Amino acid sequence: MASIIAVKKLDKHFKVRKFHRGRFSGFQNFFTREHHLVRAVDGVNFEIQSGELIGYLGPNGAGKSTTLKMLTGLLVPTGGEINVDGFVPSKQRKEYVSRIGAVFGQRSTLWWDLPVFESFELLRHIYKIPEKLFKKNLDEFRELLELDTFINTPVRSLSLGQRMRADICAALLHDPKILFLDEPTIGLDVVAKERIRQFIQHINQDRGTTVILTTHDLSDVEKLCNRILIIDEGKLLYDGQLEQLRQKFGGKRQLVVDFFENYPEATIEGAEIVEINGARITFEFERDSIAASDLIGRLSSKYRIRDLEVKEPEIEETIRRIYEQQLLK
Amino acid sequence: MQNSIKLLNKYISVNLRSQLQYRLTFVFEVFGTILLTLTEFAALALVLLKFENIGGWTVGEVAFLYGTINASFGIMDMFFSGFDPRNFGRHVRMGTFDQLLLRPINITLQVLGLEFQFRRIGRIMIGVGILIYSVQTTSILWTGEKAIVLFFAIIGQIAYFGGLFIFGATITFWTIESIEVVNILTYGGSDLIAYPMNIYPELLRKFFTFILPAIFLNYYPALFILGRPDPFNFPPYAHWLSPFAGMLILFFSLRFWRFGITKYQSTGT
Repeated sequence: MASIIAVKKLDKHFKVRKFHRGRFSGFQNFFTREHHLVRAVDGVNFEIQSGELIGYLGPNGAGKSTTLKMLTGLLVPTGGEINVDGFVPSKQRKEYVSRIGAVFGQRSTLWWDLPVFESFELLRHIYKIPEKLFKKNLDEFRELLELDTFINTPVRSLSLGQRMRADICAALLHDPKILFLDEPTIGLDVVAKERIRQFIQHINQDRGTTVILTTHDLSDVEKLCNRILIIDEGKLLYDGQLEQLRQKFGGKRQLVVDFFENYPEATIEGAEIVEINGARITFEFERDSIAASDLIGRLSSKYRIRDLEVKEPEIEETIRRIYEQQLLK
Repeated sequence: MQNSIKLLNKYISVNLRSQLQYRLTFVFEVFGTILLTLTEFAALALVLLKFENIGGWTVGEVAFLYGTINASFGIMDMFFSGFDPRNFGRHVRMGTFDQLLLRPINITLQVLGLEFQFRRIGRIMIGVGILIYSVQTTSILWTGEKAIVLFFAIIGQIAYFGGLFIFGATITFWTIESIEVVNILTYGGSDLIAYPMNIYPELLRKFFTFILPAIFLNYYPALFILGRPDPFNFPPYAHWLSPFAGMLILFFSLRFWRFGITKYQSTGT
């Protein structure tokens, strides 16, 4: 299958003005204009197949938003190539943007003083959406995103979660093939996050819409994405499945055991104790050095076990380790 | 084109409805502008009545200049307020301009659609009022030709100052601080041509003739309509030049605007 998005050796460099500090810095800043180059995106390659749901991760200032801005055509790359569904995003702007949907987390595309529904009506004219399609889509999204309680409310009076739901609906009314979401769940409560995740999943599975989302919230990624891209300092560090990343860099797994009685000396080969809490002991062990089943076998031959649980390292922890220790470089 | 006009209509009605939601604010703002423009003119009229004329122009004649430019600047400000550098700069800074780039329609049209300031109706009304006062006190002999010259003068003024707004909006892609310079040209320029051009020093007048051709917007049409002689011996068709001067500024501003958008897309903000 041909890929719907192909990014080759993508660069985006910004010239940032250098400001002097200290004594007479005001004068220096006034009379000199020195710049230094920031490589916001630096030689990034990836391909995305139609129908994929991709998580694009990275710490603040890693180049996520810059990449997304180039993919949506808002920014022109300094070097390299982008091809999205046969288009070069920064060229043929009008034709291109009518085929994509984009939600940039904190900025609403809706009209502040208008009721939500009227914003949708305006978008129908802007995108020239046929009446039938518009009605079909709107009916579906109204139900899934539960828009009915606030569809006649002016956007300025909506809660953040409501506004995000309305914005996502607005981005999809014209049946885009690709949906770009920049931090779609930022600042939302657990219920609102869950609703949006379910909706994104539905759009991806039911309509086959290709979705690319950037996020800080790794539970978004865990629940939604089968493939992730990790970027840091403008370079792509990882491209693959979440599970593999966990296995490769997941670090230590934990085994939490509830014994029938207190064993203060319950040592065992291959694992070390990290916590003793009455009859509950938490062990930590390396994934590569011993299998969980062996460990459990050894334990149960010596002690009486009531219950146990194997804990995978939190993905947040994994990713944090990758950023901090620069494991992927 | 047809679709653009339909969309522009939509935008206008959206803006009207939005602004009417805050009814009291709307009424206050309309009254505010009426009061402001009236006080300004009253102050001018008081001074003029004391000296009887300014550069050889009577109060009624200056009122013709004053009324025309206020009416057309009001119309311009109503329709071009999306480009008003103060408003537009905010959209660039907050990133809402990006939202416009993501929609499959013309950007210039969308920026126009960002805002229509209906409260400017106050300034337009006062402008027309002062113009009527002038027509009554100067007893102009109206001909069809004079009516057309006046109409063209207004068109030219709208295009000229609309163009300057677009120019100023484009500047905000680079810097917010420098827009004061453009404000001098728009607000200062519209104040300047509310008075007869012969009162200004030669250098200033030449600047507003050969660099920014504002002298043709208001002064020459008024000379013709009021039947006053031309002190600068311009060609006899000078009173027809307002729309050309306006279109010239608008044309170059739009070119600069397109360039600014390309620049914006390559640097971001």
